[in-house]
Amino acid sequence: MSRNPRMEEFKMDGKPLKRRNFSSMLYNDETGAILGRTPESWGKILIFYVIFYAALVALFSICMVTFLQQFINPRVPRLQQEYSVIGTSPGLGFRPQPQDVRSTLIWYKGTSYESYKYWEDQLIDFLSVYKKKGQTAGAGQNIFNCDFKNPPPKGKVCDVDIRGWDPCIEENHFSLHKSSPCIFLKLNKIYGWRPEFYNDTANLPEDMPKDVKSQILNMTSYNRDYANSVWVSCQGETPADKEMIGPVKYFPYPGFPGYFYPYENAEGYLSPLVAIHLENPKSGVVINIECRAWAQNIQYSRKERLGLVHFEIMLN
Amino acid sequence: MGEHGRTDSYRVATIGPIKDDNRTADGQYKTRRKPPAKKRKPGDLEDLKQELDIDYHKVTPEELYQRFQTHPENGLSHAKAKENLERDGPNALTPPKQTPEWVKFCKNLFGGFALLLWIGAILCFIAYGIQASTVEEPSDDNLYLGIVLAAVVIVTGIFSYYQESKSSKIMESFKNMVPQFATVIREGEKLTLRAEDLVLGDIVEVKFGDRIPADVRIIEARGFKVDNSSLTGESEPQSRGPEFTNENPLETKNLAFFSTNAVEGTAKGIVICCGDNTVMGRIAGLASGLDTGETPIAKEIHHFIHLITGVAVFLGVTFFVIAFILGYHWLDAVIFLIGIIVANVPEGLLATVTVCLTLTAKRMASKNCLVKNLEAVETLGSTSTICSDKTGTLTQNRMTVAHMWFDNQIIEADTTEDQSGVQYDRTSPGFKALAKIATLCNRAEFKGGQEGVPILKKEVAGDASEAALLKCMELALGDVMSIRKRNKKVCEIPFNSTNKYQVSIHESDDPSDPRHLLVMKGAPERILERCSTIFIGGKEKVLDEEMKEAFNNAYLELGGLGERVLGFCDLQLPSDKYPIGYKFNTDDPNFPLENLRFVGLMSMIDPPRAAVPDAVAKCRSAGIKVIMVTGDHPITAKAIAKSVGIISEGNETVEDIAARLNIPVSEVNPREAKAAVIHGTELRELNSDQLDEILKFHTEIVFARTSPQQKLIIVEGCQRLGAIVAVTGDGVNDSPALKKADIGVAMGIAGSDVSKQAADMILLDDNFASIVTGVEEGRLIFDNLKKSIAYTLTSNIPEISPFLAFILCDIPLPLGTVTILCIDLGTDMVPAISLAYEAPESDIMKRQPRDPYRDNLVNRRLISMAYGQIGMIQAAAGFFVYFVIMAENGFLPMKLFGIRKQWDSKAINDLTDSYGQEWTYRDRKALEFTCHTAFFVSIVVVQWADLIICKTRRNSIIHQGMRNWALNFGLVFETALAAFLSYTPGMDKGLRMYPLKFVWWLPAIPFMLSIFIYDEIRRFYLRRNPGGWLEQETYY
Repeated sequence: MSRNPRMEEFKMDGKPLKRRNFSSMLYNDETGAILGRTPESWGKILIFYVIFYAALVALFSICMVTFLQQFINPRVPRLQQEYSVIGTSPGLGFRPQPQDVRSTLIWYKGTSYESYKYWEDQLIDFLSVYKKKGQTAGAGQNIFNCDFKNPPPKGKVCDVDIRGWDPCIEENHFSLHKSSPCIFLKLNKIYGWRPEFYNDTANLPEDMPKDVKSQILNMTSYNRDYANSVWVSCQGETPADKEMIGPVKYFPYPGFPGYFYPYENAEGYLSPLVAIHLENPKSGVVINIECRAWAQNIQYSRKERLGLVHFEIMLN
Repeated sequence: MGEHGRTDSYRVATIGPIKDDNRTADGQYKTRRKPPAKKRKPGDLEDLKQELDIDYHKVTPEELYQRFQTHPENGLSHAKAKENLERDGPNALTPPKQTPEWVKFCKNLFGGFALLLWIGAILCFIAYGIQASTVEEPSDDNLYLGIVLAAVVIVTGIFSYYQESKSSKIMESFKNMVPQFATVIREGEKLTLRAEDLVLGDIVEVKFGDRIPADVRIIEARGFKVDNSSLTGESEPQSRGPEFTNENPLETKNLAFFSTNAVEGTAKGIVICCGDNTVMGRIAGLASGLDTGETPIAKEIHHFIHLITGVAVFLGVTFFVIAFILGYHWLDAVIFLIGIIVANVPEGLLATVTVCLTLTAKRMASKNCLVKNLEAVETLGSTSTICSDKTGTLTQNRMTVAHMWFDNQIIEADTTEDQSGVQYDRTSPGFKALAKIATLCNRAEFKGGQEGVPILKKEVAGDASEAALLKCMELALGDVMSIRKRNKKVCEIPFNSTNKYQVSIHESDDPSDPRHLLVMKGAPERILERCSTIFIGGKEKVLDEEMKEAFNNAYLELGGLGERVLGFCDLQLPSDKYPIGYKFNTDDPNFPLENLRFVGLMSMIDPPRAAVPDAVAKCRSAGIKVIMVTGDHPITAKAIAKSVGIISEGNETVEDIAARLNIPVSEVNPREAKAAVIHGTELRELNSDQLDEILKFHTEIVFARTSPQQKLIIVEGCQRLGAIVAVTGDGVNDSPALKKADIGVAMGIAGSDVSKQAADMILLDDNFASIVTGVEEGRLIFDNLKKSIAYTLTSNIPEISPFLAFILCDIPLPLGTVTILCIDLGTDMVPAISLAYEAPESDIMKRQPRDPYRDNLVNRRLISMAYGQIGMIQAAAGFFVYFVIMAENGFLPMKLFGIRKQWDSKAINDLTDSYGQEWTYRDRKALEFTCHTAFFVSIVVVQWADLIICKTRRNSIIHQGMRNWALNFGLVFETALAAFLSYTPGMDKGLRMYPLKFVWWLPAIPFMLSIFIYDEIRRFYLRRNPGGWLEQETYY
């Protein structure tokens, strides 16, 4: 029968490791180990990891730099409109915004300056670029005097007329002090996006508020060119809100002029604004307001929050 | 009939210098071996040493009938039997107390990482609850996440529970395999009842081949013998009869014990103990009470869970605090905490480990190792010491003729199971004479109906040594029965303990020589005394001193081999004195029993199984110490140990050295002797330090004449020295040791139920060699689990780092909790499991067993590799993809830092990007979730490389190859799953996974390649500089 010629020593001395107390874990007298490693060992492992991470950072940087240099143009987004996640249906923005970024409630006590000062400052700050545009170096020289018949050439930008917002102007405290606040709306910029206007005024969408419709009809009968606008409407979200919101006025008119589009990241470009003036909102209650932009290629869904902006207002 | 104790005398030849003093090895008289009957306290070892106080064997049968209100002929009345059954319960061992199913289920539901995930889920619900009560339109994210987390915990809990219960079901199938029946006399009628229905006082009939259905006092017996080996470890059948011979219930001849086997004869007895009160029941109770402790792999997994939980809690709390310091809302901080917990916990890993172990268990089952407890799959792999029982495990448990001595020479017979061994000359007159005696002076017969069975495997009615002779002769001469027919037996004196021989007289089958032939066999020295001549080389010679010397040498040599020796002699009776038809008288022999002709010796042994020496050698080279622990005699034990290689050639015991140098044993330096044979009586003199010393300094140890509790002491001694101990055994007496061992291995065919119950693993073919398979599979699964865990843990870093960046750099979240779960429970699962199929890198049977204290499943090196190196590269890949997608859509990297608050605010509908475009909340989130998807996909891409590098820890992949098809499937599967999750319509609503442009799969490629190249280079250095610094720091 076969025997095993190899005789090996069997390991029977695998004693449990001595339970080290905490202080010897910090510093071990016998080996001079700090936190389980001798200084030499610490040094080696540190050098290893420094080299390793340096190499990793280098790899990451090479990838990043190559990508940014080869594929990214600082003026033109690489992916646009339907190729980008941003899509082709812009939303709306409103000003002033509350201090807490998570809130959309505009709330102040009508008569006290202290109370509406924040909102006024917000608007002054927001509108300052519109006021200063002529004086800023570089920005002003691109301004082109556009109208519906003369869209701006490439690289030029259109001027936003700040006088058209009256009474929603700084001198008038944006009408905040009279408990009939002004709120500014703007359409989100999407690079290269061109609106498809509702320019057949006879066939405006069914669900557009009547007051806006009549205003549009009014304007277009005066000047047909105004039909090439992205219309804007604001109303209370629920029937109750619609009651409480009172009359809404739009300045200069309920729409963004079409010649501002497309946005192509030109130096000095400013979004056109529409000021809405809530002339007599009910005080002491929260009013939910939904403002909508109207163009054939702006989708709308209240559930998905598409093509609209929502905010609340409360005056005491 | 009625012969008793015949076998005892055969022992004479084999008993060594140490006589059995009727004590157990720990110094107690054998009487005290068993635990007391009533009120057994599980786990109390002292119970074992207490008196077994029954007097059923001492009182007269009449008193016994009185006591049980029974009758030797008519038995109990049905009414009384029913009453007894109701009082005492069924005659069966109470199964060991099972943990209730719901407790097992809860353990799975709340053990491991589950608790951490429950905390995460509860935090989610709390966060949702608070949001729901404070915000008008709460986002449902937290609610969903909470539900998903809870579902994950419940599903994985149910899964592990299912796996566990499946493997325990295998065991249950074992239990009820053979229903036991017993023949009972009740109201004068013979009934066949199930053994469970027996009650105290029943009169039962037992015949050979039956299992004794309860503890029984014998009232009538005809040549009745029982095999007590499973109870006491003695392999000799013991005769049993009605007479009371010993105070000790285990020694007295009038008791037979539950679950031992009747091997010969028939008997009638009265049931005196049932179920748990039987001797067997008490040992079983002791075994089930022993605390077994955790399996090594369970320890490793706990160690690992603690490590990961520690990291998760530490990071979670740290960032919770940091978030507060940075001025986050506390609710945000809670959400961060949830994210960090989810990212840190490898949710799928425990399920992966379970599946890996199950796969191995299945593979082992197909190789005849049935694993009862999943965790035990790995234990054999860690085993550093195997304590093996001898009978039935190392040996065939079948007496076989091993040597013959005739014509003054020793001839080796073939003992192999398949008759592949040496052949010998069967034509010499010496052999013919010997064979004739062995054939004729033999009462054993083959049982009927075994025509197709090989001779060695046929069952024989009769004594073990006679059976051995019968088989040997059947092989040598052919049809033994017809030879016996031709030589008709005319008279016979059966064996008895005073004569110590058996003699029979036969008619001659030779027509030319009508003389009667007298044949005799028995204890060799007794046979020799009766002989005056010896038959050598075909001639009859005078038995002179020289011949006696030769006989003695042969006798000693065979005895020294641990074999049971029988002497044979014959005499041709002169036909004038004993003509045909002569009336031989056996009571007062009227024929010569002196001056016979000595023919030869035959010696028998229970030979080792063919595969055992090889298996022992393999265990040796795998660094596993094999210790033999047996109840048998030291000489037999030593002989078997030598023949299977447990004591290897050239290694001496202290006694051998003393004999060689001719000095007293006490003068030998014990350190010089590598081997040791330790008798139970010696063992009981030793204190635990001395035992430790023996276990430490002798590499080859045989323990003989050991009692059950000594087996336990030996196992504990090995464990005290830090060894992981496997115990193999088949008897009830082994069961405490089986239970105490880290892994108990029972025999599937010969093993008693109690031993199977105590064991963790069952060898279905009773073959020690299957243990080697177990060791191999166990070691492989340990290595592969390491790889699997290394693979799974690596992706933790790219999962955690987005959260940290989110909090510290205020960037939009690069990877969401849902996507993390998709990785942990989706794409990572199949590849991690497939690593269980990975082939070994090198010969795992050529290395030492792992050191359970230093070689952990998850160690510092593995964490350093997974978290510190590969994980970091993966995180870099993820972030690169994230920045690429953000930049392509308009948010250049610098714009992202500090944007988080506005980004995550629903109120901001016009967030400006680097190109002046303004993003609504909805579009931003779509972009963010696209980034999550891309980050997820890039983790999948870098995990390709990780999977391939995890295949090997040292070898190059070129060496290892890609032949693991499960793993190749895993690669395809994870990619397909990632594509499915990204491109299936509706996933944007369900899992917030968005379809990716094809090019967004690519940015991770350079990182994937660098993982692959880095690790190939690392392993190249490992192979070039074995034991070097890199190995110390990165070889896991």
